[in-house]
Amino acid sequence: MKRRTLLTAGAVLLLPGVSSAQQAPAALPAELAPDPTAFSKIMADFTRGATPEKEGLALDMSMLADNPSAVPVKVRVTLPITEQDWCEEIIVLAALNPSPLACRLRFTQAAGTAEAAVRVRLSQSQTVYALARMKSGKLLSAQQAVIVAASGCGM
Amino acid sequence: MSKPPRVWVSTDKPKPGEVVRVRAQMEHIMESGLRRDEAGQVRPRNIVSLFEARLGNTLLFSWEPNISVAQNPYIEFTFVARESGALNMVWKDEAGQVVKADRTMTVG
Repeated sequence: MKRRTLLTAGAVLLLPGVSSAQQAPAALPAELAPDPTAFSKIMADFTRGATPEKEGLALDMSMLADNPSAVPVKVRVTLPITEQDWCEEIIVLAALNPSPLACRLRFTQAAGTAEAAVRVRLSQSQTVYALARMKSGKLLSAQQAVIVAASGCGM
Repeated sequence: MSKPPRVWVSTDKPKPGEVVRVRAQMEHIMESGLRRDEAGQVRPRNIVSLFEARLGNTLLFSWEPNISVAQNPYIEFTFVARESGALNMVWKDEAGQVVKADRTMTVG
């Protein structure tokens, strides 16, 4: 076999492996199928057609979720929280989960802060979104793509 | 829900204006209603659907988990210490069970 033929064969063998690694490794059960309609509705109900600002809300989470059954998510409004303008609500959404709305977090004037951390479960690799609404009506958003790795070790 | 919730507070004697951090976790199966048992029957949904934290009677923070929240729900939140009082926390699940925890905060 000529060297060139071998190289071409190798490239052909490698390529399917690369592309399949980027796709979902296995089909999800029907119960775990994403619900894009619900996702769009929750986003629309929260924003009411307005476009959220891309700054002012921090979404802290790891790009790689080594344990998809408990993925730490922290949200924090970085705008000043004052007596006149505080964060009323933050919602956390997992775009491709069967139930996209992970939770609602409601803050009050009495709290004087807007920061919370939770742990969510993710059905597959996807983008996690956070949306915040201030008392003034200002909307904030943040997002983070997360790769769900089901580790072979210790499971 | 047999064990009491675990609660950690950054300080129970904050200075006025200090940000107090609270971490709390309770044991709960957070059954999503998407899982099946060995016989193929859907396990009925039952999740913690509400957590509230109050200082005295003043609501500081509330949390409405949905089924995407992990088992044994963990919540962390902060608030600015302004007055002394009891930090009351309550969890409610969809089966009607209510779990409470409290900490005494002394601002000074």
